[in-house]
Amino acid sequence: MRLTEEQQLLRDAVRVLADEKIAPRAAEIDRTATWPDDVRRLLASHDIFAIPFEERHGGLGSDLLTLCLAIEQISRVCATSGLILAVQALGAIPIQVAGTVEQQDRWLPGLASGEMLIAFALTEADAGSDPSGIRTRAVRDGDDYVINGTKRFISHGSVADSVVVFAATNPDAEKASRRLSAILVETDRPGFKVTRVEHKMGIRGSPTAELAFDNVRVPVANRLGDEGQGFAIAMKTFERSRPGIAAQAVGIAQGALEVAAAYAKERRQFGKPIAELQMIQSMLADMDAATEAARQLLYAACEAIESGNGDAARWAAICKLVAGDAAMRVTTDAVQVLGGYGYIDEYPVERMMRDAKITQLYEGTQQIQRLIVARSLLAGS
Amino acid sequence: MRIVVLTKPVPDPAAGAERLGPDNRLDRAASPTVVNGNDEYALEAALQLVEAHGGEVVILTMAPANGTETMRKALAMGAARGIHVTDDALAGADLPTTIRVLAAAAGQEAFDLLLGGLDTSDGAGGAVTAGVAARLGLPLLSTAAHIEPDPAAGRVRVRRLSAKGYDIVEAPMPAVISCTQALGAPRYPSLKGIMAARSRPIAAHSLADLGDGLAPADGAWATRVVAAEPPTARAAGRTVTGSATDAAREIADFLADRRLI
Amino acid sequence: MPALVLAVAEVADGSLTRLSTEAATLARALAEAAGGTALGLVVDAAPAGPAAELAGYLPRVVAVTAAELADQVPAPHVAAEVARLLGEGVTHVVIGATTDGRDIAGTLVGLTGLGLLANADTASWDGDAPVTRSVVLGGRAVTESTLNGGSGIITLRPGGVGASESAVPGAVEPREASTPAVPAAVVLERVAEAGAEVSLEDARVVVVGGRGVGSPEGFAVVEELAALLGGVVGATRASVDAGWVPYARQIGQTGRVVKPALYLGLGVSGAMQHRVGMQGSEVIVAVNRDQDAPIAEVADLFVIGDLFQVAPALATEIRARRGG
Repeated sequence: MRLTEEQQLLRDAVRVLADEKIAPRAAEIDRTATWPDDVRRLLASHDIFAIPFEERHGGLGSDLLTLCLAIEQISRVCATSGLILAVQALGAIPIQVAGTVEQQDRWLPGLASGEMLIAFALTEADAGSDPSGIRTRAVRDGDDYVINGTKRFISHGSVADSVVVFAATNPDAEKASRRLSAILVETDRPGFKVTRVEHKMGIRGSPTAELAFDNVRVPVANRLGDEGQGFAIAMKTFERSRPGIAAQAVGIAQGALEVAAAYAKERRQFGKPIAELQMIQSMLADMDAATEAARQLLYAACEAIESGNGDAARWAAICKLVAGDAAMRVTTDAVQVLGGYGYIDEYPVERMMRDAKITQLYEGTQQIQRLIVARSLLAGS
Repeated sequence: MRIVVLTKPVPDPAAGAERLGPDNRLDRAASPTVVNGNDEYALEAALQLVEAHGGEVVILTMAPANGTETMRKALAMGAARGIHVTDDALAGADLPTTIRVLAAAAGQEAFDLLLGGLDTSDGAGGAVTAGVAARLGLPLLSTAAHIEPDPAAGRVRVRRLSAKGYDIVEAPMPAVISCTQALGAPRYPSLKGIMAARSRPIAAHSLADLGDGLAPADGAWATRVVAAEPPTARAAGRTVTGSATDAAREIADFLADRRLI
Repeated sequence: MPALVLAVAEVADGSLTRLSTEAATLARALAEAAGGTALGLVVDAAPAGPAAELAGYLPRVVAVTAAELADQVPAPHVAAEVARLLGEGVTHVVIGATTDGRDIAGTLVGLTGLGLLANADTASWDGDAPVTRSVVLGGRAVTESTLNGGSGIITLRPGGVGASESAVPGAVEPREASTPAVPAAVVLERVAEAGAEVSLEDARVVVVGGRGVGSPEGFAVVEELAALLGGVVGATRASVDAGWVPYARQIGQTGRVVKPALYLGLGVSGAMQHRVGMQGSEVIVAVNRDQDAPIAEVADLFVIGDLFQVAPALATEIRARRGG
């Protein structure tokens, strides 16, 4: 996959920033499980948040591949930090695909500058892979909606300035896919509350929150798209956001591969560097192959999705599927290469392995991705 | 204000791949190039000054044809435009020629300040900025740790590092300043800066554009390198481990043997 | 044209710097090898004392009284005097590679177009020109360079040439100052900063605090050892960037280059850009917790240990040996 000069320039600039400013923070972010606001400000001041937004909103007007290049480079050194960019991009997509010009002009510049943070709230306690379990209600009352319900596992939910909430505006709709609407809720509205922040296996610096809506009143003007379009907006969103998670996964895998390869060259056993042992070489080679394959598939998916290829859903699912599994495999093998040292926090691979797992779970589990790929395949188109 | 900043692409010291070619001249193709470290500090100082006082920063580089790559980074940091002096006849140019050429190019700009890094990582002569000042007949304020222009009064004040601290030195503008690292760490180019830099102009000048007699007619430089070799390695040293008191005793014995205590 | 080698002296606090005596010694040696003569130049508001001292090294010293140097930067004035002497037959100029020395050399090159052999550690005479030896490319190469034409300028790094006086003291020739060809910036004020007064290049012992020192307070152990060893405190770029010590103390590629009799590094990792500034030291001792610290590659004695334990223990040991 040949990158344009612009893509290479931006990728290299993000790489340098990640190596010099973010990498030194990664272990501490994980150990203290603290939201790294300094990294958020760094991304803002270097225009990295601007990547997925149009120039008229203060963005760089870059394509999906460029965004993924940036997420990959940051995730290589810190998965939590890479997620900051990915979640911001995710939360903005409903506004970009379904918002009116006025809504876009109102909300997107603050997101592009990184001054405001946004979260995406679809999941609930009883609605993960199966969105038909969504119970959060948005009831029309004059010119407002009144929202009641609870969302679970919302990335950035406790630090976001606004949340795109998927709530049922027509719970009795004939077609289940017409029940939901997407509504942007500013988090300073009365009745909005963060009721829980999870303690997680990985991406520990990224706050994953439970959000309670207790008669939260928002103007109808905050609704994105028409009533009943919520599910479609969510599906359309995933077409563009899943590659971002694939990019995070590829970055994590690459980071782990680099640590393992460097370690193998230094570590001496049986009178020589373990890099000279064939079993180690075999593992490293498979790790490299898996990472590269995931990367190239991701880049191809970005191009296909950006070009408006009819099967964006399939491309998004397939690249996220492959990358997530690659990240888990590569990081697990990286710990193996480092042996006992891989298990302790003196080396970053144990963190990378813990970080990798989420890429097989969120934005659609691997099982959901497989259903999407199979559906597309078997539809015969 | 218009501030011209001299920047030199040098082999990346972090890469450690510098080599001298067969003629003992630096093989500039052998190693990735970066903007000379000290020049970045000068550039950062210039950018902050025009942010405070208005105006533009212009990069001036004398380099082979591929010198534009490093100039783009300087433009990405915020410089408005670049001047690239490039000519095959300047390959391996000596110091007097470099000074004449840079002075001639700078002299075509109406600048308030000309800034250069204190020295370069690949030559470390530290004389270019002073030489350009002399050639242009301008005052030199060297070894600057702080720069404070007063455009209304047409003067500039500089803190010049000294053995005891610093001297406060002043001259009328236009003036030439050599810059130290104490001026403050250079910014990373923002992504918007990187994108904008692609369309900022770099004007190319050949020797002929700058005037006659800048380089020696017969191509004979004033100096030449007659030999080059890697430095003699130090004899291997001894490693000491153990308790602090044991180590202290070993160090003291070592120093006493050499009459250092 | 017979070789006439000029050593340009530098005055600090009313006395001649040690580097000036090294430059004078080199000028004399080159002149002798070339079958010519050497002379010295002192330009100062009060040159008599330093000129008399310089006369111990050279047969003839021109002492220029330049009252302006009290409140102007020296380079244009000194360059004007050197230019005058070049017009009177001087063929080669040796200048100490200091802040002022580099400015003088650069100004001279700009004014005269003469070639410059920069940062020489030593020089010798070969045929009809001097050949200088210097370390370039961040310490990765040692070069020998020479002048292609008849005349030129050499800047000399400290510590490469051992100063030695002549058998017979020379004569001092007082002169009035010339007018500089380029304007000199005015010195409005000279500010002394506590902790900035250092003469790192002249120090016999340098004790350096690196990243491992951890804080400005941590430098107390560095200072204690420096005081005990009769040395000067130096720093790496990491310590300076962290704001623990002033930039004046920084040793390395973008700082000072030192060649003391003893370099003692505490918590110094020894990154290449620092090693460039100290690897010419006669004896190198380093203490670091990291056994893989690159400084081990140049250390004559490398101690793997915690500097906050080893340094105080060493201080105690030194005091004990001195009987106190």
